[in-house]
Amino acid sequence: MSPLISPLTIQNLHKKYGEFSAVNDVSFEMKAGEIYGLLGPNGAGKTSIISCIVTLQEPTSGEILIFGQSPHRLPLDAKKYIGFVPQEVINHGYFDVYEILEFQSGYFGKSKNKEKIDYLLHRLGLWEHRNKKVKALSGGMKRRLLIAKALVHDPKILLLDEPTAGVDIELRLSLWDFVLELKKQGISILLTTHYLEEAEELCDRVGILQKGKLLTEGPTKQLVHKMTKRKIFLKLRVDSKTDEKTIAKLQHPQMVGVHENTWEFLVSPEKGIGELLDELGLSTSAVLDVKIEEGSLEDAFRHVLGTL
Amino acid sequence: MTVSSRWTPFMTLYIRELKRFMKVSVQTVFSPLVSSGLYLLIFGVSLGGSIELGHPVSYLAFLIPGLVMMSVLNNAFQNSSSSIVSGKFSGDLEDWKISPLRESEILAALALGGLTRGLVVGIVTFLTGEAFYYFINGEWLAIAAPFWLVLFLFIGGASFSLFGVTVAFWARTFDQLSAVNSFILLPLIYLGGVFFSVEGLHPFWKLVSRLNPLSYFINGVRYGMLGISDVDVMTAMWVSVASLVFFYFIAHRTLSRASYARW
Repeated sequence: MSPLISPLTIQNLHKKYGEFSAVNDVSFEMKAGEIYGLLGPNGAGKTSIISCIVTLQEPTSGEILIFGQSPHRLPLDAKKYIGFVPQEVINHGYFDVYEILEFQSGYFGKSKNKEKIDYLLHRLGLWEHRNKKVKALSGGMKRRLLIAKALVHDPKILLLDEPTAGVDIELRLSLWDFVLELKKQGISILLTTHYLEEAEELCDRVGILQKGKLLTEGPTKQLVHKMTKRKIFLKLRVDSKTDEKTIAKLQHPQMVGVHENTWEFLVSPEKGIGELLDELGLSTSAVLDVKIEEGSLEDAFRHVLGTL
Repeated sequence: MTVSSRWTPFMTLYIRELKRFMKVSVQTVFSPLVSSGLYLLIFGVSLGGSIELGHPVSYLAFLIPGLVMMSVLNNAFQNSSSSIVSGKFSGDLEDWKISPLRESEILAALALGGLTRGLVVGIVTFLTGEAFYYFINGEWLAIAAPFWLVLFLFIGGASFSLFGVTVAFWARTFDQLSAVNSFILLPLIYLGGVFFSVEGLHPFWKLVSRLNPLSYFINGVRYGMLGISDVDVMTAMWVSVASLVFFYFIAHRTLSRASYARW
């Protein structure tokens, strides 16, 4: 497998359920070893895209390629590369955790995969629970079992569909640590999540979906930079009641609020504090304190969706 | 050390099917023993003496192959259908779909799993029948034509296992599955000649029976076990083989269009 081939290429993907268009002409490409976040509100089409990739749904039209091979036309070649963590927990009835992992490994053509199974059980804190049935596991353990299942056959690309939904903060953080560890091992990761703060922390690139359409995509930092503004709070040595000359200078087009002697400005990310002070005609000696808040992915997300 | 082979996905699913029914063996294997025992006691032993068959064997001997085949067919169907339906309910089927398992491997593993359970229960039923026969007659019931017996058991079991796959993938609710069980499967089995000889029926019902593929499976097994049959054994074999091909065809067609989504 050439490192130049993209782990996942999606071209002009459409998915309709009857007349309803869940995915509408979506195209994007992942780079090897990156974490790509698919973000969007509920019903944006994230799960439909993932379902089409893993062949649970047949695309209405368009192309999906896993390392250059279609999981729909060449399933035996393409599917072995994919590990999939679904949103919903699978029950597995009569079988215990160890058996479930053995079966999953076997479906992907690997039998006697004890070393890997044992490693995942230890790494994900399931070793003590290996003889339990799924219904006896806690919510967090079930979630970890889904991740172990997705990794048991050594996939090259991992699809995580809302992996931390309904998971407590401690487990969520440990799962993200594990995701970063997987990235270091060279696994490419596509994830959907509602936790934008974490997406910002983890994702090299993100795509923002709404009503089945990919509105924008790009490197996370660039997107935040492009789509958001920086907030600068200036606390000044002025008496807002008496120092009218200085106050007049502060009536700048980018001034968005004032609270006692603190003025709030919304400026482009390139604009520094010095430039702003120059524009205001203020000297640094007039400034008592400065606070700067950079734009966040959540701001960019809301900007793209038109809710900001 | 990890081992990879062309057969691993198929063997894994087949072993899963075996483990699934063996984990609840009281329900899947030994519970049919009770129903077979009751049939043998009530029909074979108590009422059997007053039933005239038109065949040179006792009613108890006549009943045993019918019950064996009924167990095989019923359990083969139940195994594959319940595996799929419970998988639809719990989401297991999604694991099969996202993996590199071929449709042909899924079909073969499910069919073989159902056949295996059918044969296991069939053997248990046969041993129960042999015990009753020995208790009444003081001797074991000898098998007249083992080749034909094994052939018809395999064809019948595989056919009904495939039928179970078809119905379970087709069904969208538990009601639909249970309707097929009650309105198609049970009448076919009970009217297939498990408890009676077709020769003694009214010509209309005889014709109906001739249209029921199960009567060929059951008579084939009866020929294999006792050397007697209501239909010519070669005819029974060809009809059974044709039925197997038909059940395979509809199972394959259903599977290729099936949804693996959970209920």
